[in-house]
Amino acid sequence: MIENFVLMNGYGLYVWLSFAITFLACGIIYYKTYKTLKKYEKEFIKEFDRLPESEKKVVLSKSKVASQVLATYNKSI
Amino acid sequence: MFDLINPSRIFHWIEKLINFINSIFFILLIIALMFALLLSPPDYLQGDSVRIMYVHVPSAWIGLASFTSLALLSIFSFIFKIKNLNLVTKSIAPIGLLFTLLAIVTGSLWGKPTWGTWWAWDARITSMMVLSIFYILLILSHKLIEQEDKANKVSNIIAIVGLINIPIIKYSVDWWNTLHQPSSIKLDGTSAIHSSMLLPLMLMLLVLLLYCALILLMKYKTEIIRIKKKNIKRI
Repeated sequence: MIENFVLMNGYGLYVWLSFAITFLACGIIYYKTYKTLKKYEKEFIKEFDRLPESEKKVVLSKSKVASQVLATYNKSI
Repeated sequence: MFDLINPSRIFHWIEKLINFINSIFFILLIIALMFALLLSPPDYLQGDSVRIMYVHVPSAWIGLASFTSLALLSIFSFIFKIKNLNLVTKSIAPIGLLFTLLAIVTGSLWGKPTWGTWWAWDARITSMMVLSIFYILLILSHKLIEQEDKANKVSNIIAIVGLINIPIIKYSVDWWNTLHQPSSIKLDGTSAIHSSMLLPLMLMLLVLLLYCALILLMKYKTEIIRIKKKNIKRI
């Protein structure tokens, strides 16, 4: 039964290759997108850390995005 | 209405949506794969090679739908001058390219056992190839043009021009004699496909759509952070 499942009556190579290529490509794009997102989050935090304390407070109070990025970044490390 | 896509307003929801998709994705993927590879029957003519359909067809649909939505958003962006729409179109383009290329590659893998050839300059395949070129031009316009406004304008024009290719792809199998079979599922809901094959097809479509949503949200989030980082001193 397992042999039939793997060989798929002679079409196994085409079927498995199609699924493998699809999920491998999706996996690579997911990994690259995730890495880029984390890189930008890190760069944003670096830029934020360079600000003087008074400006940091202003940024955090005015920008929802900034406070959200800080929160997710702190959670992930 | 357009305030709904205001980055500050939706940033919080993007994070929540990403977490939600992550939590259900693998369960749905396993169910879809079980149906596609195990539970669905082989075709009476094509045998087990028909299982390639479960990745090929959703990929082609997503490739086409991505370009259509991208072009429509470009038209809106052109008319209403909404910069946020350009962030969305920029995020959709790589996803569309990925699925268009996957449709071409898996189509080629399906073509060998079915037609006896990996490739033919057939109307459907060639027009899909043209679609991938439009996607590449769109992505390149953002990579090569440094001025963001100019890059957005060029990519909008490419998307609007490329929209002409969408009906050509859709009706290529009706307008010309092609190796590619006509659509089994029509937009009016009539279907020439049995429910035992339609269910895995729809499940795989759902899984791949969720994947697209996940990548789109992550890319959109990256774009928002990139812009906020550039303007951090102006906040």
